[in-house]
Amino acid sequence: MRPRTLALSASALVTALALVGSALLGGSEGQALQGEYKIGLLEPLTGPLAFEGKRHLDGYEVMRDMINERGGVMGKKLVLVVGDAVDPTAAGSEANRLITREGVKIITGTYSSTLCGAASEAASRQNVIYWESSCVDPRFNKRGLRNVFRTEIDGTGFGWYNIEFIAKHLAPRFNLKPNQIKVAFLSEDSSYGQGVTEAARQRAKQEFGMQEVAAEYYAFASTNDFSPIIAKFKQLNPDVVHHIARGNDAVLFWRQSKEQNFMFKALVHAGATGYGSIDFGKALGVDGNGPFVLAEPGPGLRLEAFRPEARKLEADFSEAIKKKTGDEPLASHRLAGAGLWLLKVVLDQARTDELEKFRAAVLAIDMPVGSTLNGWGVKFAENGQNANERVQHYMLQWQNGRLMTVWPEEFTTARAKWIPLGAWDQRK
Amino acid sequence: MSAVPQLLVSTVLLGGIYALIAVGLTLIFGIMRVVNFAHGEFLMLGMYLAFWAFTLWHIDPYFILVVAVPLFFAVGLGVYALVMRGVIHASHNVQIFTTVGLSTALQNLALVFWTGDFRFVRPWHSGVVLRIGGGAFNLSQVVAFAVAVLFTLSLFAFMKWTHAGRVMRATAQDGEAATLVGINTDRVYRLAFAIGIACVGVAGVLISPLYSVYPTAGLQFVLLAYVVVVLGGLGDMVGALLGSLIVAAVEVIGSYLFGSAWKEVIYFVLFIAVLVLRPAGLFGQRGAEALGV
Repeated sequence: MRPRTLALSASALVTALALVGSALLGGSEGQALQGEYKIGLLEPLTGPLAFEGKRHLDGYEVMRDMINERGGVMGKKLVLVVGDAVDPTAAGSEANRLITREGVKIITGTYSSTLCGAASEAASRQNVIYWESSCVDPRFNKRGLRNVFRTEIDGTGFGWYNIEFIAKHLAPRFNLKPNQIKVAFLSEDSSYGQGVTEAARQRAKQEFGMQEVAAEYYAFASTNDFSPIIAKFKQLNPDVVHHIARGNDAVLFWRQSKEQNFMFKALVHAGATGYGSIDFGKALGVDGNGPFVLAEPGPGLRLEAFRPEARKLEADFSEAIKKKTGDEPLASHRLAGAGLWLLKVVLDQARTDELEKFRAAVLAIDMPVGSTLNGWGVKFAENGQNANERVQHYMLQWQNGRLMTVWPEEFTTARAKWIPLGAWDQRK
Repeated sequence: MSAVPQLLVSTVLLGGIYALIAVGLTLIFGIMRVVNFAHGEFLMLGMYLAFWAFTLWHIDPYFILVVAVPLFFAVGLGVYALVMRGVIHASHNVQIFTTVGLSTALQNLALVFWTGDFRFVRPWHSGVVLRIGGGAFNLSQVVAFAVAVLFTLSLFAFMKWTHAGRVMRATAQDGEAATLVGINTDRVYRLAFAIGIACVGVAGVLISPLYSVYPTAGLQFVLLAYVVVVLGGLGDMVGALLGSLIVAAVEVIGSYLFGSAWKEVIYFVLFIAVLVLRPAGLFGQRGAEALGV
């Protein structure tokens, strides 16, 4: 036998043995990946939303590596092709570029409710699958688009959870019935803020008969002073301030409330921005003690409440994020990671990115709460929305510079403090 | 308790912040006739200067002012030489495209170097609140207001009573005539731009204890600064201060009475009304918009 033939035969034998060995071991981890599979990823990486967009990107990249260590998608190495969606126009044009130049059949992203509409419309025009992991605009899944799916809860779900928390957890601790609670609603005026706030207002009034004392919207990018709103709220004396903030506005409202000695019993927010951003804790430290944030879980989460398969995923993801960023995973990391993992699950089931077969695979998945990253379950509706009741959310509270997971209590080791909030200098 | 004292305090202190930002803009706008869309980005750079000095060396922003004035003056000279000088006699469209380009470039440079994260400057005085007569005064805001008044009056005196100020006003009134009588208009424009950038750099340092520092922080204020400049009259320093107080009053009282969503409606209606009915601004000399004074 000639040396070259010998070498080829030997390498074929080694490859065959490796494949048999892998099959016998039964796991997909470490399995040789056959080629690449490209997915388009749109995030705001420049401009005013970049601070969160980059965190999402970190979450996607960590999960991409985890997926590739676990057999990739459809047996191929997952590759992310990234586009910068700085604003809705760029979101649409970058979606077109990813489809026409990069040839992607699936686009994921985009973090913001101001971007997901434009990006998904562009994908829809070219019959490309759009897989949203974060935006919560309630209109997103109500446009009759068959190519659009969202893994995250929508704004309606945020509002539902917040009122659930106020009625079932806070009210008894205030020694009040839900219909005795006075709520002041305050929100930035994007589709995110409005979606959450309107859902909360509706449930608070119709289901619990809570007393709405104010409902104020503001433009977060041009609001430099909350003192007139605070002066008004002080006169209305609410028990709870339901504030959906977007960025710097959370710090400004909280700081000025302290300056004006505005006393309320609790502040409740929803989402990874505003009070949900790590920047709130960095800005205020212990002065930021008290606000509640509906978000993905953080420190204080009781992993034993998850199903076994989710525990390992959760632990590995947290570890990888800590390694990459030097800190605990934030809600933005978690949303991106959970969304991309579910996309892998669907693609591995469907074995294709052909829309109708992909869609059938999406609708067929039925996983109870606690099954995957963040403790989420999965059950998509016909409109492409993962069921709000399966996307388990958690109430976190700022406690000494950290966002601690405090509710539902069966998922947490930490407990909520300062109910009701005491004087500003007593929250230590 | 009545909200009136707090609303008055908020109006005055917020007006001080807007005046700090607008005074440099009105100087550049009034003398060079250039709409500087990058003005907010120099504000942002001032905020970052305060942030890094505080974070790396624990230097209070007020001490940084000593460095900020010459530093931003030099930045102004540099930007004028490299960018503005080439477009000073070009059409307004070219000037707008140039300054918008400069704005975007500076924003993204900040993003590349310092990321999009919100940063915070927390010197001891940022949390000090004075309570007088039913109103709460944040000490950093009081200082910002005092400096705004000082800057406005200083620039007013400079323009009114110094030779350089008279030369600048003459150039603003008629650039060609100024050239004919031997004024080096290029030097005048350079000086005006450098002073304007120094003012906004100082404004950035002064507001850093009050607001988050991030690459697009300037956008939060610059649109309001344009409203102030138009209300106060182009190139009018005292007008800028009064215009700032008017915008702040509309914002504070409008938000209180009608809700926050209405505040921009109200002051932009006022803005349009002034442009239509009194283009020289509420405090500017009639016809000044054409002459540039």
